[in-house]
Amino acid sequence: MGRSKAHYWFVGPAIFLMLLLLIAPVFVAAALSMTDYSLGNSGFNWIGWENYEKLFSRRSYSKMFTASLTYVLLVVPISVALGLGSALLISSLRIGGELYKAIFFLPVMATLLAMAIVWEFALNPIVGVVNDILRSGCDKSAIYALLSGSWLGYDPLDSWYGSACEQKFPLWLGDRQYALGTIAFIGIWQAFGFNMVLYLAGLTSVPRELYQAAQMDGADSAWERFKLVTWPMLGPTHVFVITISSIRSFQVFDTVEALTEGGPSKSTYVMVYAMFEKGVRQNLLGMGSAITIVFLIFVLILTLVQVYFVNRKVHY
Amino acid sequence: MSIHTNWLGEFFKHSLLLAGAVVVLLPFYLMLSYSLKSPSEIETNTGGFFGAQQIMTDNRCVKAGNPEENCLMRPIVYNYTAAFKEAPLVRYMLNGVFVTVSIFLIQVIIALPCAYALSKLRFWGRNVVFGMVIFCLLIPVHAIALPLYIMLAKVGLTNTYAALIVPWSISVFGIFLMRQFFMTVPDDLIDAARMDGMSEFSIVWQVMLPTAIPALLAFGIFSVVAHWNDYYWPRVVITGNKDLMTPPLGLRMFKSDMDGNEYGPMMAATTVIVLPLVIVFLLAQRRFIEGITMTGMK
Repeated sequence: MGRSKAHYWFVGPAIFLMLLLLIAPVFVAAALSMTDYSLGNSGFNWIGWENYEKLFSRRSYSKMFTASLTYVLLVVPISVALGLGSALLISSLRIGGELYKAIFFLPVMATLLAMAIVWEFALNPIVGVVNDILRSGCDKSAIYALLSGSWLGYDPLDSWYGSACEQKFPLWLGDRQYALGTIAFIGIWQAFGFNMVLYLAGLTSVPRELYQAAQMDGADSAWERFKLVTWPMLGPTHVFVITISSIRSFQVFDTVEALTEGGPSKSTYVMVYAMFEKGVRQNLLGMGSAITIVFLIFVLILTLVQVYFVNRKVHY
Repeated sequence: MSIHTNWLGEFFKHSLLLAGAVVVLLPFYLMLSYSLKSPSEIETNTGGFFGAQQIMTDNRCVKAGNPEENCLMRPIVYNYTAAFKEAPLVRYMLNGVFVTVSIFLIQVIIALPCAYALSKLRFWGRNVVFGMVIFCLLIPVHAIALPLYIMLAKVGLTNTYAALIVPWSISVFGIFLMRQFFMTVPDDLIDAARMDGMSEFSIVWQVMLPTAIPALLAFGIFSVVAHWNDYYWPRVVITGNKDLMTPPLGLRMFKSDMDGNEYGPMMAATTVIVLPLVIVFLLAQRRFIEGITMTGMK
C-alpha cells in the first residue's frame, strides 16, 4: 500500500468539491450576512449585526419564527405518533400488512409539489371535495349529531362543525387561522409513512423472547407489554425518527411556495421560504444569508441533540 | 408477535388502517379522476371516477378559428392533449431524466474512488478527510442554497443544466455509505487483485464496483427520487427558461400560467409527472423502501 500515489486521484476531486460546494458556501453565507450585498451591485457595505438585529426585532421575522416553530410542533408529534401507530398496527396484522405499508409510503415517493397542487384543488372552498364532503354531512342528522356533539346533549351551534354548517366551512389555505394548519396537514400526510417504515424496522429488532419474558412476569395485556418492552426497546428509533422529522419539517418549502406564498398575512411565512423570498426574489442577499445562518444553527442544534442521544444509546 | 389476536381485534385494526388508507389515497384518486372528467363535472363534483365522457367542445380550438365539428372530443382526450399542448411536458420529463441520471453518475464517479481510498488505502491525512466527510454530512442543503446561487450567478451559470447538476456532484452521504460498505469487503480480495498486477484504478472500477452493486442500487434510488422530486433548487436557479425546467418546476409554471379553472388539463399534467415514479415504486417496493430509509438520514 502507500507505494502508489493513487489516493491523490481518488480523494482529490472529492476534497476539492467538498471545499467548493459545501464548506465555502457556509463561510460565504456567514460573511454575507454581515453585508447589504445584492447581485448586480458592484460592491457592498459591511453593516455588522444589522441584519440579525432586524431578524430578531421586526414583526415580520417574529412571524417567520412563529410559523416555522408552529409548523414543526404540529408536524413532528403528529407524524411520529401516526408513524408509530400504523407501524404497530401493521406489524400485528395477520394479512394485508404489506399492502398498507405500500399505500402509506406512497406520499413519501410522490412528487410533493404535484401532490400539493392536488390538495389545493381538494381544499378549494367552492369546488373542492373536502368542503363538499363536510357540507353533505350537515343534512344527514346522524352525522350532524355525531360531529356537532348534539348526541351528547351539547348545543350543536357551540361546536366547530355545527356552526360551520350554519355559516360556512373554512377557506383553509385562504384563511390565516387555518392556512398553517392546512400546510401542516399536507406535511403530515406526506411524512408519516416515512416514520412508519423506520418504526417497522425498529420493531423487527426487538427480540421476541422479551415479549415472552414480559408475559411470564405478568404483563398480560398488550398495552402492558407495549409499555414494558416495545416502547423502551424503540429508544434509538425514537431519537432517530424525531430528529429526522424535525429537520425535515424545518425545511418545508414546496407546499408554502406553491400554495400560499407565505400568506395570508405571513401566517405561513416559514424560514426556508423567507430565505428564498428575501435572497432570490427581492435580491436582499445579506438578509437572506442571515436567515440562512440562523436556520443552519437550528438544524445543527437538532443534529447535535441526536448525536448526543445516540451516543448515550438511549433505552430509557 | 406472539400476542393472541382475535377476529374482533383484527377487524378493528383493519378498519383503522383502511380509514388511514382512504385519506392517504384521496389526492391520488382525485388527481386521476379529475384528469378524466369534463370541467363541469369537476366543478359540480359529479360523474363518479370516470365521468360520463360526453363529447365536449374545446373552446380554445374554436377560438383558434377551426370549425366547431373539428373541435369535439371526449374530456379524457381533451385533458391530456391540452396538457401536452399547453406545457412542454415531454421536454420537462426529458430534462428530469437527464438531470437525475447525470447527478447520479457524477456522484458515483466522485464518491466511489474516494470511499475506496478511505476504507482500503492507508495514507497520510486519511482521518482528516474522513472527518471532513462527517462534518459535511451536518450541512443541510437548504443552508447552502443562497451562497451557491450567488457563486453560480457570478460565473454566469444560472439558467443552465450545469446549475442544476454541478451543486449535487458531491454526495458526502454517498461517500459515507460506500465507505461503510467497502469496510466489509475482505482485504484479501484487493490483495489478490494487486498480485494479478491490477492498477489501483482498475481495482476501483473492476473489483470494488461490482461488489458494491446492492449499496449503489439503494443509493441510486435515493438520489434519483430526491432529485426528480426536488423543487427548491430548480426554483432558485432556473428563472423563466422553460427549456431547462424539471418536472416539478414545469408543473408549477403550468399552474401559474393557467387561466382560471382548467383543472382537467392541470391534473392530467400532474398525473403524467407523478405516475412514472409511483409505478416504478409499486413494481420494486421493497428495494425502494430499503433505499429511501437506509439513506433516510439525509
